[in-house]
Amino acid sequence: MSSSAPAPVSDSTDPAAVAVRLRGIGKRFPGVIANDDINIDVRRGTIHAVVGENGAGKSTLMKILYGVQRPDAGTIEINGEVVSLGSPADAIKAGVGMVFQHFMLADNLTVLENVVLGAEKQHGIGGAARREIARISEAYGLDIEPDRLVEDLGVGARQRVEILKVLFRGARVLILDEPTAVLVPQEVDELFDNLRELKSEGLSVIFISHKLDEVLAVADEITVIRRGTTVRTVDPAGTTARQLAELMVGSELPSPSTETSTVTDEVLLSVQHLGLPSPEGRPLLEDITFDIHRGEVLGIAGVEGNGQAELVEAIMGMRSGATGSIVLADKDLSGLSTRERRESGVGYVPADRQRHGLLLDSPLWENRVLGHQNRPPSARHGLIDKQAARSDTERIIAEYDVRTPGPDVLARALSGGNQQKLIVGREMSGDPILLIAAHPTRGVDVGAQAAIWTHIKNARRRGLAVLLISADLDELIGLSDRIEVILRGRFVATFDPHDLTPPRLGSAMTGAGEDA
Amino acid sequence: MRRSNKLAALFTAGILSLAATSCGSDDSGGTASDDASGGSGASSDIKVGMAYDVGGRGDQSFNDSAAAGLDQAIEEFGMTSDEAEAEDGEAESAREERLRTFAEAGYDPVIAVGFAYAPALTKVSAEYPDVHFAIIDDSSIEAENVAGLVFAEEQGSFLVGAAAALKSESGQIGFVGGVETPLIQKFEAGYAAGAEAVNPDIQIDSTYLTQVPDFSGFGDPAKGKTAAQGMFDGGADIVYHAAGGSGGGVFEAASEAGALAIGVDSDQFETADPSVQDVIMTSMLKNVDVAVLEYLTEVDGGTFPSGTTTYDLAVDGVGYSTSGGQVDDIADQLDEFKQQIIDGEITVPTTP
Amino acid sequence: MNTVTPTRATRTDPRLVTLVLRLGAPALALVAAFAITSLVLVLAGDPVGEVWSTILSVPETRNLANIINNATVLYLSGVAVAIGFRMNLFNIGVDGQYRTAAFVAAVVAGEAWLPGFLNTLLALMAAMAVGAAWAGIAGVLRATRGVSEVISTIMLNFISISVVAYLLRKAAVAEPGSNSLNTKEVPEGSRIPNLSIGDGPSTEVYGFVVIAALVGLAYWFMLNRTRFGFDLRATGQSSTAAIASGISVKKMTISAMLISGAVAGLVGMPILFGSSFTYGSTFQPGLGFAGIAIALLGRNHPIGIALGALLFAFLDEQSNPLQILVGVSPDIVNITQGVIVLTVVVSYELVRRYGVRLEQHAVARALAAEPAGRRDTSEKEVSA
Repeated sequence: MSSSAPAPVSDSTDPAAVAVRLRGIGKRFPGVIANDDINIDVRRGTIHAVVGENGAGKSTLMKILYGVQRPDAGTIEINGEVVSLGSPADAIKAGVGMVFQHFMLADNLTVLENVVLGAEKQHGIGGAARREIARISEAYGLDIEPDRLVEDLGVGARQRVEILKVLFRGARVLILDEPTAVLVPQEVDELFDNLRELKSEGLSVIFISHKLDEVLAVADEITVIRRGTTVRTVDPAGTTARQLAELMVGSELPSPSTETSTVTDEVLLSVQHLGLPSPEGRPLLEDITFDIHRGEVLGIAGVEGNGQAELVEAIMGMRSGATGSIVLADKDLSGLSTRERRESGVGYVPADRQRHGLLLDSPLWENRVLGHQNRPPSARHGLIDKQAARSDTERIIAEYDVRTPGPDVLARALSGGNQQKLIVGREMSGDPILLIAAHPTRGVDVGAQAAIWTHIKNARRRGLAVLLISADLDELIGLSDRIEVILRGRFVATFDPHDLTPPRLGSAMTGAGEDA
Repeated sequence: MRRSNKLAALFTAGILSLAATSCGSDDSGGTASDDASGGSGASSDIKVGMAYDVGGRGDQSFNDSAAAGLDQAIEEFGMTSDEAEAEDGEAESAREERLRTFAEAGYDPVIAVGFAYAPALTKVSAEYPDVHFAIIDDSSIEAENVAGLVFAEEQGSFLVGAAAALKSESGQIGFVGGVETPLIQKFEAGYAAGAEAVNPDIQIDSTYLTQVPDFSGFGDPAKGKTAAQGMFDGGADIVYHAAGGSGGGVFEAASEAGALAIGVDSDQFETADPSVQDVIMTSMLKNVDVAVLEYLTEVDGGTFPSGTTTYDLAVDGVGYSTSGGQVDDIADQLDEFKQQIIDGEITVPTTP
Repeated sequence: MNTVTPTRATRTDPRLVTLVLRLGAPALALVAAFAITSLVLVLAGDPVGEVWSTILSVPETRNLANIINNATVLYLSGVAVAIGFRMNLFNIGVDGQYRTAAFVAAVVAGEAWLPGFLNTLLALMAAMAVGAAWAGIAGVLRATRGVSEVISTIMLNFISISVVAYLLRKAAVAEPGSNSLNTKEVPEGSRIPNLSIGDGPSTEVYGFVVIAALVGLAYWFMLNRTRFGFDLRATGQSSTAAIASGISVKKMTISAMLISGAVAGLVGMPILFGSSFTYGSTFQPGLGFAGIAIALLGRNHPIGIALGALLFAFLDEQSNPLQILVGVSPDIVNITQGVIVLTVVVSYELVRRYGVRLEQHAVARALAAEPAGRRDTSEKEVSA
């Protein structure tokens, strides 16, 4: 691999214009090489994207650059000076700041309090700090009011608070780890505007992602990492997402593709006039009515926060107060508990797999039991059948290509994609007739994404009804037989995915296409 | 996350309390044995084992009074001693084991301070028939090698009750008990009887700070202050406390209300904070030190007493203090009552 | 990546690794506790060597009996707390639960409505029912009203002290010359016989130690083998995942508190039926709080709790010799206990993190060892 490493493109660049130069960075853990001969130049005033599959070594690299881990080999230069980053404090001193994928904000504090927390020495905690926040917010168009409570802010605004925190501490190089994973398309556009603002002010942004369209849209340079080493740095102009992805996986790339229809006349799930009142007035769900047939995938499109999560939870029986009827294969689910619904043939891949889908500190076989405590092979006569559960977990590991040494490994130790494959395998193992998949490929690498798409297609072919919620419009259009758009708790439009483009669907999601 | 916060809180509390207790009684173990070799010229090969109740030496109350008697005996007879104290929340077997450890190590006699030792001593005294034991505030053990040292608290309380009634201008007085046990009820009963002997119409407010098994009423000045404040606000002008360490709060309340208070066990005029000294009209004396010293005097003389000895007014086992001179004007009347009790003309009740 | 050869990727049995880590944590903690306590002793000017030689002296048979007896009581308390812990419920109220239960059981047994061991059985059932009911109040409040069980159980502790004190005065029988308040004694025939482990006085251990062991076994079985135990652990680990999997968290909250309370009800029973035979003003308080420390020490594991209880009972037993023979404050024992709990919690967290890292590396290594083959299969699946 090292012999074929391409020459860095920065040979031609003026050294003074390089904000961050990484040379020959290597990091090994016992038995594993996380990084090996990484070479990257980030020019001042640019957005430099780092892309790679999960596990390719991106996060180790960023931890090294942010001082969380020390490299075993190589040098880090910031503004032409070789630095040694022993801790995040060192990194901040050197002007490197990091915005994590999972926000680190205290909900019950105001923006101001969150920003100054831990940086009280910079501008105090009073008027000076407030002025500085206002200045930064103004300068970079972040649109942040210092006295709002963080809990009242949306996801996009929270992310801007995180960026502001980093700028407040004097960062000139910002690392953003998967910043768009939690955002809806409109918010992504806003974020990109902010980033362009930053770079026009001479700041450098390192942007980690595996959403290739976004990377191509915003980055000035893109470095691809595969198996711990830099494969190539490319110019986004003249590079396609497909080429990038092939560089990432080192081979050809799958895509969600529609196959011949397997939809039948037989209605499996019938939801009639589903409503979910909210104590604060406007109902969370209102008069939702739809059928899903045997062998059909119904996609739900919508800007996040318009009732998708509530719809899923109402069908699963996790929300009290839902009205209307839910009938699955002639069985009325309305009055049943979540467990009874699951046992009536519902498989559920939750949106937040770490919080809702897994026991992270339990072994895989116990995660196999979760949600199936009442059914063989997990349990018999009220007792957990460990042997049977373990061997069935091994079956899932093999059939669903979960990459793990065995069923006794803790779920936490697996990568996101493998966790998700385990969940899909588990949910399919109860012989469901309805599969609810909420954002099934969010945050998983390309390989796992393809595998999960295959499993959803297989489920459809086997005659399941599938309810698919996704923010990835290509995924929705590619997999669904029909798409409903949800807006403010109501279905507002229905599309046939065959002649649908993401932009049309996107405008319908914001309400613009309501008449269309 | 939620749980770890709770844990943190728990540990913080735990560490603080550990730190507090360790500071308070750090020296309690060492002192006695060091004193022993000092002392006077007299010498004796008698080794006294002293098992205190919770609080131990330095509690400014009951245990300290017993310690004073022991110290005096060491001074006079040249005995040696070692000490151990009970801990809050310990198992019954820990009390037994304390007595046993003394007995095994050759201590004779072994003095158990406090009625809480009664069940343990019943057992251990039978196991070691050759070792002699004494127990303070209990007379329920019938064994050849056990001496019960009990006090007529009701008699002393009678006198301070009479003093309160004589001094009260409002005709309303109060009683604050630490923990509602039969022992403390004796104080209340005597106090009420004495007050009523002077003024049959007197109004007596009584309260107890805590109920068994919560013994914190003997060590919580804040509770004592609140209780006494309520009585002063309600019109009482003298409050008697039998509440150990909580009594400090009673004195404070009296000081703030411009009223009077009566101390207990020892002459609290001498030991109380100078700022509240002038509110301590008198104290009911329960001379545990006298009892311990007398017991050890007999032991030094070669005899080990057994059976129950009651320390009452007749032997000055109980009484009242005159420091500060606030009861000098009624001393004649009080001594008259005292004589009547000694003569048996007045029988003081032991239950309220 | 080219340096990792498949042959080097040895596969250690993850369960073996887990076992080593599990044993390593308490060992690390004890060594740290030993060092810290020694430091405290040096700072306090106490004789370090003498203190340790006394603490670590081989106990005599009667001391051994005391240790086992106290450990039995502490064990039950630890298990009661651990049941709550497993579900992330902080049952601080074991103290009030066991005292209320012990009082009721003492009254029931003292009244002797039934003959012999039927009387014992009835009293034990009453104790468990009272403990469960007392804890159940907190469970219902938590499930229906969202009241933190920490607050409600602390309040219930206070209430139980007052209620029991009030009832004790009603139920107590007076004994001449004694200053204690006690309920009627349990009749001879209803006492649980003690088991002798040696000669001499006080070398008997509670017969209840057998029942405590059975409770531990039942706890283990419930937790690891039953669906209910699985639901309990799942809810404790992640209530969100539990809800999504169909577990009714409300039901689990109430059930867990009821079971925790029922076990708490048994805490005072070894004492009642094995040594005191009565509930009185000197009935041992504070066992519920000791149980919290012991459950932490034992990591909520039935064997771990037993070891923790034995360790605490052992240290308690050394308190008297330390005072009398060495002349140091008994607080040294308390400090040691506190330090042990702290170091155990810290070292377990360290070891847990280390274990997770180790495992993540194991996973990465296992994958790195066979990248080519796996990739091919996945590719085939995709194109199929």
